[in-house]
Amino acid sequence: MKHLFKPDNLKKVTFILMLLLVIKLIWFVIEILWLSPLAINQTEDSGVKSLYYRIKLTPNSMKAPPKEIKKRHKEVIENIKDITLLAIYNASDITVVTIEYKKKSKVLGKGDNINGFILESAGNNFAIFTKKEIEYKLILLKNKKMLTTKSSINVVPPTIENKNKIEGEVVYDGEVRIIDRSLLEYYAKNEKEIYKNIGISEITEGTTVKGFKINFVRKDSIFEKLGVHRNDVIRKVNGQEITNYNAAFSVYKNINKAENISLVIQRGKEEMELEYEIN
Amino acid sequence: MQMVKKIIAVLFTLWIAFLIFMPKIELYTTLEKELASYDIKLNEKSIEEGFTSLILNDVSVYVKGIKIAQIDEVNFFTLLFYSSFSINNVKIDEAFSSQLPSQAEEIILKNNILSVNTVSVDANGSFGVIKGSIDIFDRKIELIFTEQGEINMIRSYLLNSEKGWLYEASF
Repeated sequence: MKHLFKPDNLKKVTFILMLLLVIKLIWFVIEILWLSPLAINQTEDSGVKSLYYRIKLTPNSMKAPPKEIKKRHKEVIENIKDITLLAIYNASDITVVTIEYKKKSKVLGKGDNINGFILESAGNNFAIFTKKEIEYKLILLKNKKMLTTKSSINVVPPTIENKNKIEGEVVYDGEVRIIDRSLLEYYAKNEKEIYKNIGISEITEGTTVKGFKINFVRKDSIFEKLGVHRNDVIRKVNGQEITNYNAAFSVYKNINKAENISLVIQRGKEEMELEYEIN
Repeated sequence: MQMVKKIIAVLFTLWIAFLIFMPKIELYTTLEKELASYDIKLNEKSIEEGFTSLILNDVSVYVKGIKIAQIDEVNFFTLLFYSSFSINNVKIDEAFSSQLPSQAEEIILKNNILSVNTVSVDANGSFGVIKGSIDIFDRKIELIFTEQGEINMIRSYLLNSEKGWLYEASF
């Protein structure tokens, strides 16, 4: 009887197939015993949702009325009778000026009042005062001999001052705190400034985040004006529980887009809500 | 001689079979599981499995649930005695632009049977050019910035050495 295949070749093919089968089996056993069949994927959380939305009641074709821009102290007067600016000390966190008023020299800090004029800010050779919504710019008199600035007072160049200047305020009307959007933009660009003013760390139970604790709030900082205190624990932002880092990070990342924010915080045993509107 | 030929043929068959039957996707999911224990997760859009390679497309990298980078392609290639891992076009999330260099064009990790304990690292991107190695047994990383780019934000982690800025870490 004639063989269809040479018995020797058939034997070789069988051997190779057996070898392949053995290797497949080895990998199969490894797979069953040690390898993970399921992929681990991160579920993406959505960002901070507004608690409420502003609705345009005008038809789409119509232009929305121009947004009212608050212009403060429009009028600038470059002189104040009876007050002469003698010296300026201006640093990023403190502004002090020396003035002569009724032939007496006085030292004023930011916010101090002299004859109804409130010191608002200062540059390297001028100080800004306000009185009844009118802005007064007082120039440092360089020609006078009493210029003590050169010897003892450090004057910060205006370029540096302007670069690091924090513009915007937090206004509290008793219920809601209104935050200038420019503040958020500033802190989004200068992340390190956040950590200088507020310290936050997570509270965990096992691997689960239970909230974020405020370790410190710098006195007189914008963060203090937000109404948060040391040892407060942030539990929720806009009704969403902050139970993972991504939820907290998405708040930070999308804060520029938010129009309102509510924080549920735990202060001692009491749980309270802080509301913010961003303009 | 005939015997030698047979042995070579068997070894070759074994080698090819090991490569072909290697459960590459399962090996990758096991790596994902290991990374997840360090709070690092990878989300890929698609996986292509080849005879000797595994390609991941559009990979998002999450650390502690936070997306930190987007990678165009991750290519794992192995011949068992030589393996390479190339990561192409890594874009760091904008939110980390003040902490990390913004982009890496290519990161290549290589390992061969002659030095099993060492993985060589070559990378280039907005940070410049990196050459270095990872010692697997000693669990040490040593990276040298042979050409400097955008590294100001990470300079505090670097040492100034003769060869250039040096990053050393253990894991």
